[in-house]
Amino acid sequence: MTDMKRRSPVVFPFEIKKTEPWEHWTVVTEYKSEREDLWIVDLSHRPRWDIQNNALSDLKPLDFAIPDTPGQCRLEKGVLINRMNRTQASFWQLTGERFEMPDDAAFTDTTDGTLFLAMVGREVPLVAEKLSALDFLDPTTTSPRLFQGPFAHVPCQMVLVDKSDDKPGILLTCSRGYAKDMVAAIMQAGREFTLKPAGQTAFNRWVESLT
Amino acid sequence: MNRLKNKPTLRVDTAQTISFTYKKKTFKGLKGDTIASALFANGIRIFSRSLKYHRPRGLYSMDGECSNTSMEVNGIPNVNTEKVLLENGMQLKAQNVKGSPELDIMGFMGSLDRAMPAGFYYRTMHKPARIWPMALKQIRKVAGLGRISPDFRMTGEYDEIYPSADVCVLGGGPAGMAAAAAAAESGLRVILLEARPRLGGFFDYRQSEFSPGVPLHQHARELEAHLQKMPNIRVFKHTSMVGAYSNNLITAFQKGDENDDFEERYLEIRAHSVVVATGCIERPLLFENNERPGVMQIACAHRLTNTYGILPGKRAVFSIAHDLGIEAAVDLFDAGLDIAAVADIRQDAPNESLVAELAQRKIPYLSGWLALSAHGSPFKKVVLTTLQGTFEKKFECDLLVASAGMTPVTGPLSMAQAELSFDHHTGFFLPRSLPAGLFAAGRIMGLNDPQAIEASGRIAGLSAAAASGKTSETALSATRATLAGRPKADRGNNLVMAPVKGRKTFICFDEDTTVKNIKQALSMGFDATELIKRFTAAGTGPGQGGIPGHNLPLLVAQHHTDTGTRTRPTTVRAPLVPTLMATYAGTNHDMSKQTPMHASQKQEGGIMRRIGVWNRARYFSDDLSCRREIENVRTNVGMLDATTLGKFRIYGPDALKALQRVYVGNMSKTPQGKIKYSAMCNEDGCIIDDGVVAQKGENDYYFTTSTARAGTTVEWIRFHTRYEGWDFNMVNLTDAFGVINLAGPRAREVLAAISDADISNEAFPFAAYREFTVNGSIPVRVMRLGFVGELSYELHVPSSWMETLWEALAEAGKPFGIANFGLEAQNVLRMEKGHLIIGSESEQRTTLHDVGLGGLWDRNKKGTDTVGVVALEQTEQQDKRLKLAGFKMKNTDKPPKDGSIVVDDRIRGHVCIARYSHVLQEVVGMALVEDPLNEIGHELHIYEDECQGQLVSATVVPMPFYDPKGERLRS
Repeated sequence: MTDMKRRSPVVFPFEIKKTEPWEHWTVVTEYKSEREDLWIVDLSHRPRWDIQNNALSDLKPLDFAIPDTPGQCRLEKGVLINRMNRTQASFWQLTGERFEMPDDAAFTDTTDGTLFLAMVGREVPLVAEKLSALDFLDPTTTSPRLFQGPFAHVPCQMVLVDKSDDKPGILLTCSRGYAKDMVAAIMQAGREFTLKPAGQTAFNRWVESLT
Repeated sequence: MNRLKNKPTLRVDTAQTISFTYKKKTFKGLKGDTIASALFANGIRIFSRSLKYHRPRGLYSMDGECSNTSMEVNGIPNVNTEKVLLENGMQLKAQNVKGSPELDIMGFMGSLDRAMPAGFYYRTMHKPARIWPMALKQIRKVAGLGRISPDFRMTGEYDEIYPSADVCVLGGGPAGMAAAAAAAESGLRVILLEARPRLGGFFDYRQSEFSPGVPLHQHARELEAHLQKMPNIRVFKHTSMVGAYSNNLITAFQKGDENDDFEERYLEIRAHSVVVATGCIERPLLFENNERPGVMQIACAHRLTNTYGILPGKRAVFSIAHDLGIEAAVDLFDAGLDIAAVADIRQDAPNESLVAELAQRKIPYLSGWLALSAHGSPFKKVVLTTLQGTFEKKFECDLLVASAGMTPVTGPLSMAQAELSFDHHTGFFLPRSLPAGLFAAGRIMGLNDPQAIEASGRIAGLSAAAASGKTSETALSATRATLAGRPKADRGNNLVMAPVKGRKTFICFDEDTTVKNIKQALSMGFDATELIKRFTAAGTGPGQGGIPGHNLPLLVAQHHTDTGTRTRPTTVRAPLVPTLMATYAGTNHDMSKQTPMHASQKQEGGIMRRIGVWNRARYFSDDLSCRREIENVRTNVGMLDATTLGKFRIYGPDALKALQRVYVGNMSKTPQGKIKYSAMCNEDGCIIDDGVVAQKGENDYYFTTSTARAGTTVEWIRFHTRYEGWDFNMVNLTDAFGVINLAGPRAREVLAAISDADISNEAFPFAAYREFTVNGSIPVRVMRLGFVGELSYELHVPSSWMETLWEALAEAGKPFGIANFGLEAQNVLRMEKGHLIIGSESEQRTTLHDVGLGGLWDRNKKGTDTVGVVALEQTEQQDKRLKLAGFKMKNTDKPPKDGSIVVDDRIRGHVCIARYSHVLQEVVGMALVEDPLNEIGHELHIYEDECQGQLVSATVVPMPFYDPKGERLRS
């Protein structure tokens, strides 16, 4: 009998301490050698939607407002909404239970289309700097902020969720097929800073600390 | 190792020794030493031999302006040992040497200079032409700088970063540090690059005073400490700028130290504004044997003493043209060097107090004198002369400190498109106009007064900050006033050359180019500096014109009696400083895509191949004909991972119009529950893609494209609808869905075993589209297709479910003999069925009609302006087009290679694909051949690589070869 599992494209070669089943996924909640100050977490199981409409600003998915200006993001109740362009936004459910996608043609479930990672810690901008010319350290940028461009040569959507000196964090999505190479590139770039994976628990704590 | 100790300027740690190997002996250096300083401290004076004449070469400048001290370090040739810090265990080897550096058996080449005038190999070795290949071999044997072993492998990490900054400062000397601090004070982000392993520039090793009681070296350290307190300044030491490009993109590379994870790191810096404060190097003094070991520049001798604690000789003569030379002579005398004389080409400008210092020490000072020639190997005598050569004096010595004055490091300015012209007062090439966002400061502008240098740096920093949006007029005015109160730029020298003929007066050390060679080139009519540079090779070596860069144009200008300011330095190009290829290669993240089945396909024997951005299983055994995989699909059932297909959602009120625009078929005739196969053409009517479209709901479609077109489909549709203002949206779902092609006569039974849906032929016929769940949980979109010519289902499943669905099918298919098949098997199967792959059976000029797909074009489609139909109309009846033809080989079981040409009296086409068909028991294939060679029954003659004139024959036959009535895929 086949085990009815959904599988993440991400595998970190580190020992897992705890997992939790969630919506047919096996979610790693904690790794054995987690670091408090610099970590990367696989969020590929978290639901993500694409929203497209000519009158995007009129939409209010599940009562969450879509930011008005491309590049702007809004983080609220564990949901991050990123305005990509005039007609398009992305809706990422970072924590909590899964919302049902509204029965509206404007929405497309893209959860399985992308790899979804978060990197948190003081050196995260320095890790990012090794893989992308996108300027995450720009002091004039306010967070959360959406960046769209190449990261390790792959077109990505990234959100600088928090740019505090203490624990800045970047969320990253790119085509799912690049998962293995993207993770390898990030882990290699992060090696000099001892970047290590963490589980969803650490991520939840961090998101909670932002709100 | 006798080192001077307790000097406040020292940058070596005399308590920490480092071992290294040279000539099979172990030597010791100090922490902080460069390789060159450590070798020099151990008595090594000859580091290498020169390119052409195998002349001995030694330490000359300390900043790597020439290849004199290039050596093989740990197997890597051409390492400039002046710029690389010594590390424990380094293995050093002299290069371009036959024998030893001291006794090189090729040293006789130096006496053959008369036989090798300028451009001799251009002029002497081409008549007759057959001589050249032989000469080339011999020249290559004896010339060249360093050799690398073919099996040498670089070790270590080569990193890269892409930082951004408001202001990027090039040069960590006093001007650069002041500029960085000034820009950073306004809160801007500043990046400071310094080529040396430490900041301070020419303050770092000097004991003169910056202000009463504060020596320059101390002030430099104070400036550095000030920078360290500013968190918005990032300092990259040991980092050489190598390129400057549009919009202030600066590239550089950094040498890692013991605390870094990398050997070298490539930097690509985006800055709003750039300050060039790269200071000066010394302009080489031209005299006979000016490159002999024992001859070195002022800063080289000064830094050896003050930075590394090494006295560069026992008895020295100075031939200088700048106050720094007198300052160095005083310093080195006080450190214990016996100085026989200081010859100064200047007759009026010297700093009187410095001259008095010489007198106090009883050092003879010869004003208006300069070096005429160096003698001895090892060096032991110098002849000085007056400017006119009227009188001469000889001095026994082991060191000649020689310099014609200062010259600015203009490479970065040139690369940044600054306009340079010659300034007769300073003798410098100065920037006359700077591009927006570029500023220059410090010694590069001719300043020599320490406080003026610092003030000019500060002005540049404030100006750069203003260019980045942070104007501070008050600070700028105050600093300008400070600068106005300081001494202006010093008067400098033009070209300085001893009155010699120049036979052994080297203008370029890297290429062994002498002044005589330049004269020869001029006499042959080469009048432009850039031409002379190429003809004589002066300045084309690894030093990038560091030695001849300014002397060469000045010498040429002198010949042309050009007293104007039109003279320019020769062109420099990136990399300004020699860089390892490994550094440019960087970490080389090879980013490719994997399907969700990648790991398990490999585990099951899949031989993976990179196809475009994807990795795919091409074979599942060593049998490259894939017989078992093919036969299993024809008789049982097989599974192919087809995830790489492009997959898209298009929706909105005008979605259909967009589809009609790009597809040749009439897409309005796509009822729900059915799929429509169609093709896209470009404006020339040439086929670029094919795929299927399914209508999922009102104004809501799901369509597929070929793997190759997946990345460009959204742009293609947007481009061709850009003026319409249509309301539709697209989502690329290529990675969101995995695709399994379940194919074979038992496919239905396998799918039925895990699905509750009715998939009978009546309920789910050929060309139908269904959505249902598998095993109660897995949502699938299923298309009934027949690409491989059998009953088959294309199952589109959310990628996270893909492995689970695959496993369920594999489990359910066991009783039916299910097995994997790969791309090559699919290729043969579809070929047997006569199905084509765009790009394999088509090329850039192949239209829809050429490949027999004209039927897909709906001519009755109205008002849609479908892309390519005008060209389709025009080319439909065109004769002599390349048409697709099916063929069977005659008298052979060996298929011709894909791409083999079809010939008669000329080339008439090519084979697209040909394989031995195990099902048909013969070789079949498809070719694009010139009309009318595609007519049934025509005989094709095929020429293969290495066929030695033996053409093979094939007969054009109807397609498809297999199941021509299509009964199997509809069954």
